[in-house]
Amino acid sequence: MNGLLTAMKCEVFVALRTFSSKLIVLTPALVVLFQFLLLRMTEAGQSARDNLLGNNSFEDVVANNAYGYFVDGLSTGLTMLGLLMVAQASYSFSFDRDTGAARHLLIRRVSRSSLITAKLIHLHILASLSVLLLIAVSYLMSELFWDFGAIVEDGFELIGENEIRAEIAAGLRLALIPLPAAIGFGIFISVCAQSATQAVTTALGITLAIDIFKTMLGDIAYYLYASFQPSLIDQSYLQDVSRLVRGYSDVLNAERVLELNTWVPLPTLVLFFIATLWLLKRKKM
Amino acid sequence: MSTSNGAVALSISGLNKSYGDFEVISNLDLQIQRGSIHGLVGLNGSGKTTTLECILGLQSFNSGSITILDKQPSDLHLARGRIVGIFDTPSLHPNLTVRQCLQHARLLCDEPTRTSEQVEQLLGIDRFKDFKIRHLSLGNKRRASIAQALLGSPELIVLDEPFSGLDAEGVDDVLQLITHLNRAEGTAFLLSSHQLPYLEQICSHIAILHKGSIAVSDAIAELLKSTGTEILLRTPQADAAITSIDGIATAQYSHTDESDYLHVQLGAMDSAELNRRLVADAIAVSEMILQRGSLGKLFREITHEVAP
Repeated sequence: MNGLLTAMKCEVFVALRTFSSKLIVLTPALVVLFQFLLLRMTEAGQSARDNLLGNNSFEDVVANNAYGYFVDGLSTGLTMLGLLMVAQASYSFSFDRDTGAARHLLIRRVSRSSLITAKLIHLHILASLSVLLLIAVSYLMSELFWDFGAIVEDGFELIGENEIRAEIAAGLRLALIPLPAAIGFGIFISVCAQSATQAVTTALGITLAIDIFKTMLGDIAYYLYASFQPSLIDQSYLQDVSRLVRGYSDVLNAERVLELNTWVPLPTLVLFFIATLWLLKRKKM
Repeated sequence: MSTSNGAVALSISGLNKSYGDFEVISNLDLQIQRGSIHGLVGLNGSGKTTTLECILGLQSFNSGSITILDKQPSDLHLARGRIVGIFDTPSLHPNLTVRQCLQHARLLCDEPTRTSEQVEQLLGIDRFKDFKIRHLSLGNKRRASIAQALLGSPELIVLDEPFSGLDAEGVDDVLQLITHLNRAEGTAFLLSSHQLPYLEQICSHIAILHKGSIAVSDAIAELLKSTGTEILLRTPQADAAITSIDGIATAQYSHTDESDYLHVQLGAMDSAELNRRLVADAIAVSEMILQRGSLGKLFREITHEVAP
């Protein structure tokens, strides 16, 4: 791994001085912020109408609990982040190759494997920062507009706060596990493609195609890392958590699916990484 | 030419490279000495850029061996900045400013020998230091690209088309810079270019690449000596002049062109001696043009191009 540290320094140097990395970190949180503001405005009107009519039901208890909104915010943010990371991963290396910027590194200090490893680490750092900001914004906005607490109906606690938090932690963990594989997929496409444009369109196209067709794949879909990511057609566990923390008990968790969620994405990342390195060794730069 | 490994900056032996069935480089041999300025010339598609890319480890080759500053092309990064490549397309991050690009390049140097300000002034791009690369002209991008290379102390700089996109002042700057670095710091250069007069001006050695292999490679003085000198004569006594020239062992009449110029190839004999003999034979000469051997002439001879 010759020059890995140098490659990392170069990645961070460019990231701090260009817009795309900042966009990755900020966009999911900003989208969630906007989502919460819209939701709150819509709800304020609905709540005023219900109060006037004297409506007060279980739906109100659920509607005023911040945990549900917090999970929705996470789900929206992670959907956005998943797509952004695939796009950025596929763009990063292919763009450096298109401009020739990668050549300087390769000739002067950095091996090919170090270059791609540095990109992988850098993208994970970006994703981590984005997730941390997303969690903070989702939590703060939920607390600002709604109240965190247990779901209680007619004096009976349907789900306690500790249980809610445990479910959210599990949902978040399971939703984040496929993210490195998505980054690995993006980088793999980045090395395969002939240009940055081709890389981004291909990576996003395949990701969206998997999202659309995963319901038709049956059990095979559970061997695809993308099936466990929060997405436009969401089948992730975080989607179930959103209902669980609202007190709904109709959520069925297949233990095998959760296990596949835990164990499929990481080997996929390793496979993508090995394939990327193999291809990169043979690629004209 | 010395064959000691210590004096050799680059050694290529039996290099072959094909794209599918098309053989781009065929059994190419080349040696470049440390401290020399070696020009690589060839027609479009002769394999110059492919050769440079193979040398710099940017693409693989089918067979043969390349040793560059005692490293293999695939391990070039182990040379830690002693080798630098500057390409036809400036390899710069378009969203960084000139100054940021130079700071970025400093991260690749073990011990930067010059500051960013110094190289900006050296290349005349200090007034563009806050411009993003994508907003620069091609010439200034090339200057910035060369500036990046000068932050450290490279022992070998490989330049692909260093003069393309540069104005006259830019060309002069680059020529001076190459000469200065070569003399002051002993930096070896491998320059690939179509600008033969510029190469003739600064190169100590020239290699002509034709049909994928090196047709000739030697010190430029030796190569130009081999091309000889030609004299163009115009005289009303053409037949007498040809007879007189035939009597000179070191001169050879070649042909008479459509403008009635007699073409005479000169060997060791200089033009003053020819002139003296013609005057002694009472041959009136109305015009006498000396055409020295040039790289362009040699290049055209080798690549079978017809001289204009």
